[in-house]
Amino acid sequence: MPEVPSPPARRPAGGCLTAQAALLGVLAAIAPSAAVFAQSAAPAPVEQQVQSLKSDVLDLNRDLFVLEQELLYPANTQVAVFVAMDAGTFFSLDSVQLKIDGKEVADYLYTPREVHALVQGGVQRLYVGNLKAGKHELVAFFTGKGPHDRDYTRGATLDFQKSIGAKYLELTITDDQSKLQPRFRIQDWE
Amino acid sequence: MRGQRQRAALLGLLAIVWVLPALAGRSRALPGAPAPDFVLRAFTGPNVRLSEHIGQVVVISFWGPGCDGCRAQLRALQRDFDRDRARGLRVYGVEVADDQEAALRFARAMHVTFPLLRDPAKSVARLYDVDNLPMTVLIDRDGKIRRVVRDFTATSRRACEDELRTLLAQ
Repeated sequence: MPEVPSPPARRPAGGCLTAQAALLGVLAAIAPSAAVFAQSAAPAPVEQQVQSLKSDVLDLNRDLFVLEQELLYPANTQVAVFVAMDAGTFFSLDSVQLKIDGKEVADYLYTPREVHALVQGGVQRLYVGNLKAGKHELVAFFTGKGPHDRDYTRGATLDFQKSIGAKYLELTITDDQSKLQPRFRIQDWE
Repeated sequence: MRGQRQRAALLGLLAIVWVLPALAGRSRALPGAPAPDFVLRAFTGPNVRLSEHIGQVVVISFWGPGCDGCRAQLRALQRDFDRDRARGLRVYGVEVADDQEAALRFARAMHVTFPLLRDPAKSVARLYDVDNLPMTVLIDRDGKIRRVVRDFTATSRRACEDELRTLLAQ
């Protein structure tokens, strides 16, 4: 009697079942939101429901953002670089290029509105990434218009030690009133 | 064997989750889709970031220095800009050129009052899938692409004007 091969149709069914299970998982994830919509037909005014829903979505979005940041940039490897500007009389910022250990990690072009926000006291997170513990070098190039509306490019360098725990660095542009020139600094937030 | 099939099914699912959205992302410059954001330097004047113009009707015209249609297109857009600037119309010409000197000469010769933007890396042209010049993208006040016109003819010009009227009235 010839050997009866195991029915081939059953095996693909296993694969299909896997896919179906995954699809059901996706549908199960979507279902609660559909239920929310179904419940929203209840007595509360539509506008109130919409506002409530918007608020929920914003909260969810914020939580997801925090979760994403924690996953992408764990505290023990995180390095963040911020930009701040004090005054800005002698320098009109156009762009900042950032290199860490010789590798370009950010090249940001500023619009007048963004520069205005910085001059008003805003602080921009220019870069966030991961670095292993040890010694590193940060180089920042600032381009823009300097005194007398001349093209102006300056660099600033900082050697820093990354240990366990997040590292925060700040690029600061200030006015040097004594020299009538802009001053560029990199600060290490201990 | 069973494991392989399961792996194949899993890969298929991953393809649905990751590859299809990626493919969908390729056709970003489609009517109804959010206009991809960008920031560029202008030939003269300040840098421009598209997302700062939510609430205004924005026209982006891609041009090249050796393109006669682009010249006509930019002149037509200058008329639109003069007429409808106060109603919230913003026009930006984005260069698509290999020769930056030629692009600069062209920009200087055009004498338009709206910003002409430099894109030496052609990053914005790639973002908007520019495959013909001139190419014009009309963006509504919500930042969504409403029309993409890939030529400059009397018919396309009329269609552009009609669409602009509708967008500015919203």
